[in-house]
Amino acid sequence: MSQEIAHWLDNLLEEIEGIEIRRKSSRRVRVDVPADALPALLELLQGRAGYIHLSAISCVDWIEDEEFELVYHVWSYESHSLVSAHIRIAREPGVYLSVYDLYQPAAFFERDIHEMYGIHFEGSPNMDKFILTEWDGPPPMRKEFDSEAYINEHLSWQAYNPPWLQALIAEGGGVVIPPEEQRFSRKKD
Amino acid sequence: MSSINQIPVIEAKKGNPLARVFDELVRFCRSRSLFILHYCTGCGAIELPPAMTSRFDMERLGIQPMVSPRQADILLITGYVSIKTLKRVILTYEQMGSPKYVIGICSCTVNGGMYWQSYATAKKLDEYMPVDLYIAGCMPRPEAVIAGLQQLMDSIHAGKANSWEDYYRNYDYYLGNQQKLFGDNWQTPTDVIAEAKHYNLLSKGTLGVHTRLLEQHQQPLEALEMRLGHNLKEPTE
Ligand code: SF4
Repeated sequence: MSQEIAHWLDNLLEEIEGIEIRRKSSRRVRVDVPADALPALLELLQGRAGYIHLSAISCVDWIEDEEFELVYHVWSYESHSLVSAHIRIAREPGVYLSVYDLYQPAAFFERDIHEMYGIHFEGSPNMDKFILTEWDGPPPMRKEFDSEAYINEHLSWQAYNPPWLQALIAEGGGVVIPPEEQRFSRKKD
Repeated sequence: MSSINQIPVIEAKKGNPLARVFDELVRFCRSRSLFILHYCTGCGAIELPPAMTSRFDMERLGIQPMVSPRQADILLITGYVSIKTLKRVILTYEQMGSPKYVIGICSCTVNGGMYWQSYATAKKLDEYMPVDLYIAGCMPRPEAVIAGLQQLMDSIHAGKANSWEDYYRNYDYYLGNQQKLFGDNWQTPTDVIAEAKHYNLLSKGTLGVHTRLLEQHQQPLEALEMRLGHNLKEPTE
């Protein structure tokens, strides 16, 4: 049965142009589509395949490719399977369409992504601050935001070097990676 | 030691000889009726229900949860304090009546714990308010929490748990750290300086650059609007 549904779904998805389907298991499909084909894909999945539940929208910042990746996870209660639709959008200006008209929970996820990555979703009902209401820095999940530099500027580190630890270090033991190296490892290379 | 005047003499304290006995009694009573306000900021809070309920039963030591800051003695901060939460923690702390004690449970309150690299959490709680005791661990077991509370009881009994005075004596330092994090406009509804005068704890560190900055930005507080129940649903513009 699930094999059949999987096969049927694959056929259905072939209708979208430029789609790349990777079946991870009988209940999990990853599809990659061009950004402008996503609304059509979601409409198809929702209207004709019963994927009525948008579980999440996740976002990945590919700073080297100058792109954001948005992943729409939709779930079907009938076939008990998950489709993850991946799209890439340009990092600048970082604007995409809202899917609020298809899936209303999208408003919540889009608002969150807007706050954390600064992506603007056109047509989303509310792009106000959400959790970081008292934050006036840049969107903190963007890769160029340097959390450690921010801490250096606004907070201070706990000095932590008790005598018993010093004794251990003198014997060649103690902390394996000293905090300084851990902290700034990202900037080393 | 050539002259007799150089021999140090400890002057006996003048005053009521019963005062010491009375102080001792007060300290004993204080250490035996502690009400904790557990500000559950982080995941460490999950160790409190077993510590309070029948499994470990904190109440046999005379420690009970309390619902409002005004009536509480101990502020228990259980885990990471995000910067947004820290503001509320400070407001809560300032509303508590003295003497008051702060316990930081969890590694996160000591040095940021596993959120050491996060932009959103404060790393050193004792920069923003005096902390009496830290209980390290991620998260500490209820036994450790109770052992920590017992240690606090002992030091209250010994008259050593006086860090709340430090907040009044060095208010400028704490306020400076708060301003650094929250911006120059930071202000709380409690008039700490007036309280310092009230407790007779006004000292060199109470006033300084930061309190002057506070004065510049301070806005007079307005009383909260009173509303009847049926008005509550109306949108506030
Ligand atoms: S120390 Fe561990 S248990 Fe405690 S708040 Fe931090 S992460 Fe959570």
